[in-house]
Amino acid sequence: MTLSISEIILITVILLLGIGFYGLLAVRNLIKVIVSLQIMVKGMMLGFVLAGRLAGNVSLGQSLAILVIVVDTIVAIIGLALAVQIRRYAGSLDVKALTTLKR
Amino acid sequence: MAPTLILLIIGVPWAGALLIWWIGDTRSHLQHTLAVLFSLAAAVASILLIPFAQSGTALTLPVGGVFGDFTFVADGMGIFLAAIAAIIGCFAVIFSVNYMHGEAQLGRYYALVLFFIGAMAGLVLASSLLLMFFFWEITALCSYALIAFNNDDPKAVYGGIKALLMTQLGGIGLLVGAILAYSNLGSYDLNLFIKNSGSLPAGALAVAAFGFLIAAAAKSAQFPFQTWLPDAMEAPTPISALIHAATMVNAGVYLLARFYPAFESVPGWKITVVIVGVITALLAGMMALVSNDLKRVLAYSTVSQLGYMVYAIGAGGIFASQFHLLSHSIFKALLFLAAGAVIHSIGTRDMRLMGALGRQMPVTRTVFVIGALALAGIPILNGFWSKELILEAGLLHGPVWAYAIMVFTAGLTALYTFRCVWMVFYGKARSSLHGHDAGIMMKFALIPLAFGALTTWILAGPFSHLLETSLPFHEIEAATTMRFIQEVISAPATLVALGAIALGLAAWWQRENLASLTRAFQGIGKAAEKSFGFEAINTAVTTAFEQGAETLRNTQTGLLSWNILGILAGLIIVLAILAAGG
Repeated sequence: MTLSISEIILITVILLLGIGFYGLLAVRNLIKVIVSLQIMVKGMMLGFVLAGRLAGNVSLGQSLAILVIVVDTIVAIIGLALAVQIRRYAGSLDVKALTTLKR
Repeated sequence: MAPTLILLIIGVPWAGALLIWWIGDTRSHLQHTLAVLFSLAAAVASILLIPFAQSGTALTLPVGGVFGDFTFVADGMGIFLAAIAAIIGCFAVIFSVNYMHGEAQLGRYYALVLFFIGAMAGLVLASSLLLMFFFWEITALCSYALIAFNNDDPKAVYGGIKALLMTQLGGIGLLVGAILAYSNLGSYDLNLFIKNSGSLPAGALAVAAFGFLIAAAAKSAQFPFQTWLPDAMEAPTPISALIHAATMVNAGVYLLARFYPAFESVPGWKITVVIVGVITALLAGMMALVSNDLKRVLAYSTVSQLGYMVYAIGAGGIFASQFHLLSHSIFKALLFLAAGAVIHSIGTRDMRLMGALGRQMPVTRTVFVIGALALAGIPILNGFWSKELILEAGLLHGPVWAYAIMVFTAGLTALYTFRCVWMVFYGKARSSLHGHDAGIMMKFALIPLAFGALTTWILAGPFSHLLETSLPFHEIEAATTMRFIQEVISAPATLVALGAIALGLAAWWQRENLASLTRAFQGIGKAAEKSFGFEAINTAVTTAFEQGAETLRNTQTGLLSWNILGILAGLIIVLAILAAGG
């Protein structure tokens, strides 16, 4: 059984998304949460490139991917900065420490 | 010229609002002066717009995308309501110079009033349904913020939030109607909607019709939403006069009148409108009769008179309803402002503590009595002519039972009006409160309004002509003022209504002798004092809502993993629906 390039990429996308989702569900360390988020976004980025290739509009897909890279970097930076602040404020990186807003 | 004037009517008060808010509360004298000047400018612009009445779009602001163009019309109905908003707004601001003298936070007060005046003019001049919805919500927001102006008083905050919630609820009806119109016609333009309403699917048109009716009922405090208006009386009195008597509460009546040609053919719509109007007018009239709070009596009478207008629309009397709207705006603004002068001078709203104030404040008494006579529908004053036109339209095109109840309510109106006048200005003094007459700026607002209550019926002819020439979809018979006078005088309906009013007066005169009869109706009176159980229904609804929310709170763990799981589950459900639906 041979897979085409597109199918291989699609499987990779789904795998990356699945890993990211699993990470978000299972992990409590804030740094790891951000890493999981990054993995998901990388999967999505690949998805954009794939969609551009399948639609025959390669340049649009790739430029969207580059846009996502820029946005994603900002998300990572802000997320990590927040993580530092939360470590100082709550004394731990456990996301459970962030449920205080509920009360 | 017309586009510039439309922009001026909306833009000048808004610019004034920003400026007054910006110059700060330390310069209160400047704030008073600027507020009067800006509202005066808006009033002048609105009067100048009247000769430019035309049908069709007068001004287009392209915004692009799904919003469509923001369009304005300058037809008779719109410009006359904009003129009412700007002119009464101007009088309310002039009155406020005395009434709000020495208050802290004048910037917030005047900014909101001017913001409201601009938004109200925009609401009636807009011809894009979406834009209309925006203005609709802005007026609701201003109304809320001004009711709760004394924000350290829990009652005021409660009244404000109640008004906001109820009018928001109605706003959903307007939004649903607007979106249905857009999805079926591809445009938010309301003239296009009225013209092509026949091409809409019957179900969609019916939903839009009743959605608009809910919106109008909530805004105009009609049954079953009438409870917010009396609680809105915690607002400063000029606000009650401007927003809760003369302008914003008319927006619902305006909405129904504007879209009448589109919804006329919807089965059951007209009779529902008639029923809403009749029930509201009757219930509110009874509640006005038993209330002891001066402003609440006026609030209930506003609700009742709005019921008359809604009833007239249901019976097809568009001109009668709009004409009564004009009369009512003037005499009710006058009554509220005069009541404001009384409250400002003696510091209480409880009518049981008043009495014999007429000698201490003769000017206020005179103008209040003029307003009260107009409200009761005594001949020559403007309220008489417009109320007779409504009753005539109701007799000709509406059901007879509705007409009978409305005539009875006319008698009730006379009764509670005279009870109110008597308790405040005549009889024996029931407390040692000492009043002083209205201040100079107050008189400056009161006397022109009293003059208006005496004379605006002369405008019936030109006004009907204006509506006829500029409203392409409404059937309005224009006639001269003389023709209207002859019509009203010669109609037998007039005599019946006058008889009812006279009976109402006689009942007040003979109240001692009718004491036994009064006792027989004590049950109704008790029910009326408790607003016929609607307050209990409101409380039950809010309590149930709060408890439900408290229960649902357990689902909010605040934990990231659970939230992600929720997102994932939602995604799967959406995908499943998409897969199943093909």
